Amino acid sequence: MRRSSRSMIIIAALFVFSFCTVLIITFDYRGAQEEAGAAYIENGVNDTGAANLVSAIYLNYRLYDTLFEILVFSVAVLGVHFYLVQQKGSAEEVTHIPESQIIRTSADLLFPPILLLGIYLVLFGHLSPGGGFSGGTAAGTGLLLCAVALGADVVAQRLHEAALERFEWGILLVILFLVLLPILFGRLPLTDLLPRGRLGNLLSGGSIPIYNALIGAKVFIGTWVVIYAFVRHRGEI
Amino acid sequence: MTARTTLLLLLPFVAAFSLTRRRRIVAVIGMGMFSLILAAVYLLLDAPDVAITEAAIGAALVTFIYILAIRKTGRLVVVGDEAPGLLEREGDRITGLEQEILASFSKHHGLDLVVRFLPRGEIEEALLRGEADIGAGGIVSNDEDGRFLTTREHLPTGFFRLVQEGATPSPRTQETEWMYFSDVLEAIRTQGKGSYTLDLARFIAVSRFDLSVYSIERLPGSFSYTFFLPSDREDLHRRLDIHLGRLRESGELDEMIRRHFP
Amino acid sequence: MASINGVTIAILLFGIGLLGLILRRDLVVKLLSLGLVNGSAILCLVSLNARRNGVPPIVHSLAPAPYVDPLPQALVLSAIVINFAVLALALVFVMFLVERYHTTDSQRIEHEISREEEER
Repeated sequence: MRRSSRSMIIIAALFVFSFCTVLIITFDYRGAQEEAGAAYIENGVNDTGAANLVSAIYLNYRLYDTLFEILVFSVAVLGVHFYLVQQKGSAEEVTHIPESQIIRTSADLLFPPILLLGIYLVLFGHLSPGGGFSGGTAAGTGLLLCAVALGADVVAQRLHEAALERFEWGILLVILFLVLLPILFGRLPLTDLLPRGRLGNLLSGGSIPIYNALIGAKVFIGTWVVIYAFVRHRGEI
Repeated sequence: MTARTTLLLLLPFVAAFSLTRRRRIVAVIGMGMFSLILAAVYLLLDAPDVAITEAAIGAALVTFIYILAIRKTGRLVVVGDEAPGLLEREGDRITGLEQEILASFSKHHGLDLVVRFLPRGEIEEALLRGEADIGAGGIVSNDEDGRFLTTREHLPTGFFRLVQEGATPSPRTQETEWMYFSDVLEAIRTQGKGSYTLDLARFIAVSRFDLSVYSIERLPGSFSYTFFLPSDREDLHRRLDIHLGRLRESGELDEMIRRHFP
Repeated sequence: MASINGVTIAILLFGIGLLGLILRRDLVVKLLSLGLVNGSAILCLVSLNARRNGVPPIVHSLAPAPYVDPLPQALVLSAIVINFAVLALALVFVMFLVERYHTTDSQRIEHEISREEEER
């Protein structure tokens, strides 16, 4: 950091901190108030059959928000892939830094539990904390560990990179259909593709587990695409 | 104080620490640590979903992507062949006059210095391809068509040609340019056939062997060691020139020369 | 005097992130500060309804319990994922800039760009 003028730093710091102090003092925080989510707490279990109220909200009551969020995520992943693949990076191929035995062994040991953890988070997302996003990201991190240990090209080959992209867009289409197709027939999006079931059952929660699984797969593939695009562009992991 | 308050109090300090670091990678890892503490805070605020998502995304993925993105920035890649006194390997470290010049330059500008050894003939290709920033290692300016920028010379030198009796003297740019200097050393030590064109520093290193089978002639002309840069890096060229000028004026350059070439 | 709770610290972090965004010239650190500003907004939202003896909003039995408000958590979940995606895209452009101008200093990049515009 070159020396920006000393007075500018002081003025900026003073301004920002006075702004923050004013905010802190005037923010009328009186602790937990009448909640906006009280209705969700009362009726969540009865309406959706899911134990995880947060899942119930963003996959049932507020499904459209989640739909657009998936779209934004897909567009961002698409943008990263498009730009990084189109612009030739500074390396022709991915040079693989020879990994030490430690990384290889720990990747061998850790990857199956991480994948299992990701699948658990996705499948049980309606019963305990987790859900599609967390599970997909956790599994994507496991894949990242594999890429560090084995080399990104090896992992990409094993995942059949070309088919992966079509699969990802296929999932997006399925999500879109599931959510929007009933609207064409004048109804709300289907919410009980699976039985409502008893509270705490795996097979409960309406169509929430289906959405969780779809979102989990989408996020998993999306994070892998982003990581691989970065690695290819940079030339080494 | 509860655990919640303690962790909350920790957050601004970690954030302020990591955002004021000079080295980028320390800032990135500091923010990774911040994300992890933030995930713990979310857990203590009774938001386990948010905590898991923040831990997976903020601490793992974001940190990794940043590290991938900044991996090659802030590096000064120097390619060159080994030249005793100028750029040579001593065990683990690299020493020499040119190494000192480049090290002081990169420290002054906050860059990391990375030295890669390549034979003389491949230096120009590496520079043109953009894989390296500076060509060094005892090279002499012989670039006629102006594809490269050269800095002002830092040390005068001369050229010597060793020709073994009976072998035809090869033109200057032939054999030696494409071999690593350690191979050249080995070849001369075992008194191999052929002719070699060496500059002064390498010639001094070679002269401890028995050179009776070679005829030594000194090529006419005066040359000087210099650095090569690709022609689109004008800014780097200017800065390196300024740095060399400063070293020369303050007398540090002479001191360095004396240290490596007594 | 305000007590130390999530909202106060979130405002403080927002200030730190804003300062980092303004004062540091390094593009990568600017992006990091932007991420910090995002994180502070999320922290504020999540901690607005935190209570002392709250319980995470996972229903285990049908008896009433002091569940923490699940609505901000659901909204914030999307925000975190979108932040990451947009950050990845922003990093792509930063990488292109850095590769083109061989520096991460934002002032020097602006300087070079204006010089190129003049030369055209």
